[in-house]
Amino acid sequence: MNQKELLKGNIAIAKAAVKCGCSCYFGYPITPQSEIGEYLSAAMQERELGYVCAESEIGAINMAIGASSTGAKVLVSSSSCAISLMQEALSYAASDELPIVLVNVMRAGPGQGYIYPSQGDYNQTTVGGGNGDYKIISLAPSNVQECIEMTYKCFYLSQKYRNPVILLLDGLLGQMAESVELAENTYPEIDNSSWVLSGAHNRPSREIHSLEPNQDKLNRHILDLNNKYKKIEEEVTDWEEYMCEDAEYIITAFGSLSRHGKAVCKYFREKGLKFGLFRPKTLYPFPYKRLNELSKNLKGIIDIEMNLGQMLKDIRLAVLSNTKISFVGKPVGDWLKRDELIYAIENVIKEDYASIH
Amino acid sequence: MIRNFIFSGSGGQGVLSVGIALANIYMLDDKFVSYCSSYGAEMRGGAVSCEVNVSDEELLCIQNDKADYVVAFNQKSLDKFISKVKENGTIIVNSSLAKIEKTRKDIKYIFAPLTSDAMKLGNIKFANSIALGILMKLCSNLSIDMVNCAFEKLLKNKKDLIQKNIDAFLFGYNYAI
Repeated sequence: MNQKELLKGNIAIAKAAVKCGCSCYFGYPITPQSEIGEYLSAAMQERELGYVCAESEIGAINMAIGASSTGAKVLVSSSSCAISLMQEALSYAASDELPIVLVNVMRAGPGQGYIYPSQGDYNQTTVGGGNGDYKIISLAPSNVQECIEMTYKCFYLSQKYRNPVILLLDGLLGQMAESVELAENTYPEIDNSSWVLSGAHNRPSREIHSLEPNQDKLNRHILDLNNKYKKIEEEVTDWEEYMCEDAEYIITAFGSLSRHGKAVCKYFREKGLKFGLFRPKTLYPFPYKRLNELSKNLKGIIDIEMNLGQMLKDIRLAVLSNTKISFVGKPVGDWLKRDELIYAIENVIKEDYASIH
Repeated sequence: MIRNFIFSGSGGQGVLSVGIALANIYMLDDKFVSYCSSYGAEMRGGAVSCEVNVSDEELLCIQNDKADYVVAFNQKSLDKFISKVKENGTIIVNSSLAKIEKTRKDIKYIFAPLTSDAMKLGNIKFANSIALGILMKLCSNLSIDMVNCAFEKLLKNKKDLIQKNIDAFLFGYNYAI
């Protein structure tokens, strides 16, 4: 018998977090991510690790700042409108250079919206709502297996670069179950003994805070952060290319909708049209350079999203040429089905499509 | 091979459980499976449905327009999901709680009194296992061993129900259809 399990995206993330040594969880229930907290409420207590169902999301993320300062491996999970509440703390955590893993299982917005799945938090994640020059690394899985692998990677990257990391997935993927293997975490442990607040016995005292009244020191701190982000952009950027080698059209998509994009590519390939798919696995840092290279010989790019074109802006920044860029999307609810996408894309590439019939 | 299934009914009828059972059976058969339920405001009596997709290779379409097999556990879900059956697809209708009426000519209907048969077997909750039996008969390339295995795994905390569910499953499997 194989080692496969049928796991929901949410449960897979929770199990992976435990497996790679998460020592504290803070959260407040909200659909569609509540299973993460539910699973961990038992799993963390069994292992005598930290679990707090906080009084609010603001409480949860600030508890994470405290715990992370002491060297704990921290996980916080929530959803869209509640992630909005955490923006101030994320700016603080980025300035304090604290490793925090934050899972956002997207529901529909703006405002309270509702629990239907959506990909409407691309801007919130990549641009952010906190103040100052800061960046949050963000990873976007497309299936449950990747939810597991990316959870491991989020913990690793957050520790390695001492930066908050967001795992961004849609409500559909959080709620969907797939056959997966809970593989081992192969990322190395990062030594944090040089900065954590572990008690100043036999060593000089340390402080972690973002307040800096000295203008020169503040200037240097922000530039140091920026140098770190440049390093992250060089080292962390990740993407997937599907049938892109000889493609004349490229579909761009992130998260689970990219799978429907692949099905569309297969359909058009069978019809004789050279389609490929480009999927950023890291939303920040975005793979601008690679997409720019790929775009040079294309007839067109079609961006598909379950929002009204948030990643489109980054596609345009990446391409910066005359390559035609079109958009197909809708804001909320049932995913754009394969046939809906095919119909919409046929209209976008009308002339070329007509010539093969 | 790609197969799509939709189960629909009202909360408490075991709609989601039967979807999970089917997904587990195919997982034991080394297929790629995805299981996706309507989520949010489910409650006993409220409308509920789930979609199970099975494939030999990586599953790309996780939400589909149409399904090869639809199981409707009551009239409301029959009305709602009848249009979701693919041409030449099959719908299994719980005739205890829905009218025996064929509104489409391009699909196969199987009417089975799931609820009253389940009551005859001793518990109204077995309706879903009977439906699973009928469904497995239709896509009959699976061995009964896998079904046993899946039930043992899913009901490991309710051991007394394993055999009863297998009996209900076999009752459905041996339906004259």
